[in-house]
Amino acid sequence: MNMPARKICLLGDFGVGKTSLVARFVRNTFSEEYLTTVGAKVDSKEVALPSGGAVKLVVWDIAGKSALDALNLTYLRGASGLLLVADGTREATLRAALDLLMQSRSLLPEAEAVLLVNKLDLVERWEVAPSTVAELRRTLPVFETSARFGDGVEAAFAELAGRIA
Amino acid sequence: MSGAGGGRTVDAELQLARLLIARANPLTLDFDADWNLRDLAGDAARFGFDGEDAAAALRGLQELFLGMPLDADIDLSFVQLPNGRNAHVHLATSADGFRVILLDAQHEHDRQRSQQQAGNEAMIASAQKSKAIGQLRRIRDQLEQQRSRLEEANALKTALIATLSHDFRSPLTSIFGYLHLLEADVALGDAPRQHLRAIRRNAGYLFALAENLLEYGRSESGGRVLDPVLVDLVALGEDFETMFRPLALEKGLDFRVQVRIDDPRKPVLDEMRVRQILANLLSNAVRYTLDGSILLDLHWRDGALGLRVVDTGIGIPEEHRERVFVAFNSGAQAGSKGAGLGLSIVKRLVGQMHGSLELESTLGKGSTFSIVLPALGQAEARDPSTGGGRFADTWLGGRSALVVEDDPDIAQFVELLLDDLGFRVRVTGDAASAVELACAEPPDVLLVDVELPGLSGNTVVYRLRAQGYRGRIVTMSATPTAEARATALAAGSDHYLTKPINIEQFVRTMMRVLEPR
Repeated sequence: MNMPARKICLLGDFGVGKTSLVARFVRNTFSEEYLTTVGAKVDSKEVALPSGGAVKLVVWDIAGKSALDALNLTYLRGASGLLLVADGTREATLRAALDLLMQSRSLLPEAEAVLLVNKLDLVERWEVAPSTVAELRRTLPVFETSARFGDGVEAAFAELAGRIA
Repeated sequence: MSGAGGGRTVDAELQLARLLIARANPLTLDFDADWNLRDLAGDAARFGFDGEDAAAALRGLQELFLGMPLDADIDLSFVQLPNGRNAHVHLATSADGFRVILLDAQHEHDRQRSQQQAGNEAMIASAQKSKAIGQLRRIRDQLEQQRSRLEEANALKTALIATLSHDFRSPLTSIFGYLHLLEADVALGDAPRQHLRAIRRNAGYLFALAENLLEYGRSESGGRVLDPVLVDLVALGEDFETMFRPLALEKGLDFRVQVRIDDPRKPVLDEMRVRQILANLLSNAVRYTLDGSILLDLHWRDGALGLRVVDTGIGIPEEHRERVFVAFNSGAQAGSKGAGLGLSIVKRLVGQMHGSLELESTLGKGSTFSIVLPALGQAEARDPSTGGGRFADTWLGGRSALVVEDDPDIAQFVELLLDDLGFRVRVTGDAASAVELACAEPPDVLLVDVELPGLSGNTVVYRLRAQGYRGRIVTMSATPTAEARATALAAGSDHYLTKPINIEQFVRTMMRVLEPR
């Protein structure tokens, strides 16, 4: 029996750590070097589901932007889930992630979404207030993550996998 | 012709196609409807579709289109393939399957990434810079607020100290005045006389403390402006002899005042500051001398006042000689029981007058404070109210005085003094009635307190001058500042006496006030 596969996309402003989150999730690696993504990188990983069974996630790491353009919309086609990524040290990236979610709704009205507020390891420099995160949790799943140390990464991907499997 | 032209077009297209193919290194893969590879043409190795990785590459390629409707052509630009190479991916549908064309985009990808990387890093740096500037602004604002609070607290402290000092002066005026009257009673026995001395000694200590606190409360740099006046050194020496001789005698000490004048020019100094220096040095000398003597030497020569206070007291150890000039370091001197302000105030006052201060001391044998104060100007300085000559009661007899003072004790004391001097005295306690009384029957001299209920004494002076009152006016105040003095004089007063009222000074002032103009 073939394992079901689902396409998920990471969306977020540049420099929030999307590529690092995928590297941590798929290969359990991390690099301090910041390398801008141009276009898209596609990886995949099998994820065990809490309900039993597993799902193969085809993960699209899409170039960071604060707004969707035609190119990014092409990449999004066929996605079942979205990982919206913000950088806790830059509050503007949280607004960008939520804007991207709104913009993607026209193409993917049914897609599940999970929000990752990344760079938990720099929490003392966070601009995003705890109360903001608490407020957002009332409308969508939110995970504070650290691609550097791995905190929250597995749980965030698993949450989305569980919702789209 | 058309045939030949069509041939050239075909040639050009073929040429173009060859060029593009050479540049893009395409790989074409044909699949059936179930994604089974039917044919492959092009540079398979470049995109990872050869060797043992071929199967994984094919799966990856298929996964690119996961979830996408395959009923129309699909273009995906800049997709990183499993072997890490970037390609433009084009999918074309046909009746029985798919054709996927991969065009090499690595060079263009790298160029774009290089540009994008620089742009993104610049934006991140800019954001961090803005954030840092914001933080610095916040810190600056916090510091500003903190400074404002500190300035406010400091102003409150200064105001509190000034108020305390002022509030000390009024009751001390009464205490010193009535002490003087009591001590003048020749029939007084030895024991009551000793009790009175004890009261005077402690009142004097309170007065000195209030003066020092007031001076300390002023900022280091923004203190009083210098107030140069002609100083009668003989009278000054007499005042301090009167003040300190009884205290010294009580401890069995010999107390001498020596005044030498070796410069024909008149000394012009800030008398209030000089008095404060002397009061502090002599207070200390009396306090720390257990037996022996105390000498106050005032020497006017070469346009400067040399001032020495020599005692045979306990002395100051070498290691404490700097500390004794620091505020609130009362422990610096053995057996110290003062607030520790006196010598710090002395040092500050000497500095304000551009003078020099030296201390010589031998432990157990005594101390000598030597101060040199250069004159603050020449004889054109204002003649102070304290500069009178010998007084004769007869001068003042038959004159009239109006005393405006709301404190009944002080009012009664001043009335008694004036009465002794032969004045006809009227007393009132508020500004309105003072103006009324003075206009109805102008006195020869008006003595007015500044701090009256309602309108101030300065207002009384101003209104009387505005109404043409030409008599003499002496302002009495518990505020010993140059500003307060200047305000009173500007309002129209002739003289400014500070409380507590020194009786000799008061008498000299009254004599001077009534000298012919």
